[in-house]
Amino acid sequence: MQTRTFAALLLLALVAVSPATRAGAQNCRQSTAKSGGTPEVAAAIDALRPLLSKEQLAVFERPFDYANATHWSNLPIGLVPRTTLRLGDLDAKQAAAARRVFVAALSACGLALMDDVRRADDFLVPFDKRPIGWGGGNYYMAVLGTPSAKTPWMLQIGGHHLAYNFTFNGRQPGATPLFFGSEPIRFESQGTTVEPLSAQSRAMSRLAASLAARPEARLSGTFTDVVKGVFMAGPPGPDFKGGTDSKFPQTYPTGDADRGIKVRELTREQRTLVRAAIESYATLPGRAISAALLSAYENDGALDDTFVGFSGSPDFSTKGSYVRIDGPRAWMEFVVQPAVAKPEDLHYHALWRDKQSDYGGEATP
Amino acid sequence: MKRAAGLWLAALAGTALAHPAPSSIVRLEFGASDVRAEYWVPVSELGYARAADPGGDFGAYLLRHVAAESPAGARWHVRLAAVRAATYQDQPYLVARLELAPPVGATARDLVLLDDAITHEVRNHVVYVVAKRGAESGLVGALQYPARRLEIADR
Repeated sequence: MQTRTFAALLLLALVAVSPATRAGAQNCRQSTAKSGGTPEVAAAIDALRPLLSKEQLAVFERPFDYANATHWSNLPIGLVPRTTLRLGDLDAKQAAAARRVFVAALSACGLALMDDVRRADDFLVPFDKRPIGWGGGNYYMAVLGTPSAKTPWMLQIGGHHLAYNFTFNGRQPGATPLFFGSEPIRFESQGTTVEPLSAQSRAMSRLAASLAARPEARLSGTFTDVVKGVFMAGPPGPDFKGGTDSKFPQTYPTGDADRGIKVRELTREQRTLVRAAIESYATLPGRAISAALLSAYENDGALDDTFVGFSGSPDFSTKGSYVRIDGPRAWMEFVVQPAVAKPEDLHYHALWRDKQSDYGGEATP
Repeated sequence: MKRAAGLWLAALAGTALAHPAPSSIVRLEFGASDVRAEYWVPVSELGYARAADPGGDFGAYLLRHVAAESPAGARWHVRLAAVRAATYQDQPYLVARLELAPPVGATARDLVLLDDAITHEVRNHVVYVVAKRGAESGLVGALQYPARRLEIADR
């Protein structure tokens, strides 16, 4: 029943998200001008809350503290259990209300990405019976703090290959950390080809291809995952914990060495590709959540001082292909890995962090 | 303790199972006059590192990339005692047993681990360092490129 409910809601979502809005980041930027607005998201959460049982509310509403804020992962729930409100457990009315929260918080592209990533997880269930926790139902949502117009609070939506962490009323605009991935990278579903990260993979791949003739853009070393991802934590033994963002705050490269090439050195056409790549990530949240960040990344001074670098194959045909945007604030990574459920295939991970405003500047160890 | 070690291995194995980029783990056990280390190296990530630094066998490679010194800078003697293969679920590891001896007159309680095995090549790779002193065992730090120095002081 829960699976049928989810499938029905996904179908509705796919109808609602037109091909035009799925086509690229530019459309996401132009659409739904009010999306991500604090009052709209808070109102949608207020409408969901009365539909939840006492037990569901207890896991949905959490204090806004460091431990809860950093409890997201790129590992599946079999390794890093998520303990908030499981989407696969919602009845039809609850699921519809939850979806209104997603619609309020996300751009059309962010919503489509979420749906497609969950469908990819569903797709893998028949191929891998290990206790990993594949499945679109194994995605979760939570509110940290109390939604209001003034005090800080967070909306978290995530599971194995998705972590949306949006902070409202923070010291800084709070769209990050934002992790997303896909295994498989492409699959057939109901007669159509689904490629959850098509916009981001194409934008990053085009950027890498344009840089291929510039040796200074090639990063040293090998990349088998994102660099600023989740972290294991001790102690080993029965209480072994890990795979969350417990290393936050992160440190980032300084100086000019091995960071790629500065955008100020690029042609106008290449600058356009950098902007497109940035926008393919930064337009996933609703516009009100990330507009200030996008402006901060794309103003001429910041863009000039942004490094772009790559490793591996620009066309993403091989594992280890990697692209990074490393700006005064923006940190965006895209990596091609071997797949887990079907090792002969490939698998994408992508991460967006902001060097100043992860968790809206409100999470302190 | 055996049970705890088994669960630790299970956790490590589980991480490897579902993650295409497994980590290294160094388990340090402090004795009265030396430190023994069990160094777990994932074969998948080692392959990238060995492509960049192919000389010698695995032991020689590890000794080129792992060293120790006292906080004041006196170099320790590092000896490779044994290497074995270990498979946890689908993920192969090499496990090296190292013996780390301080210079004459120096305490074996405090050391600086100098280590860029795998991290010299694999940029996302993390080496987690766990220290055991008596019955107590815990994570004392981690190394990821470009960091290659970890101070481990007696507490």
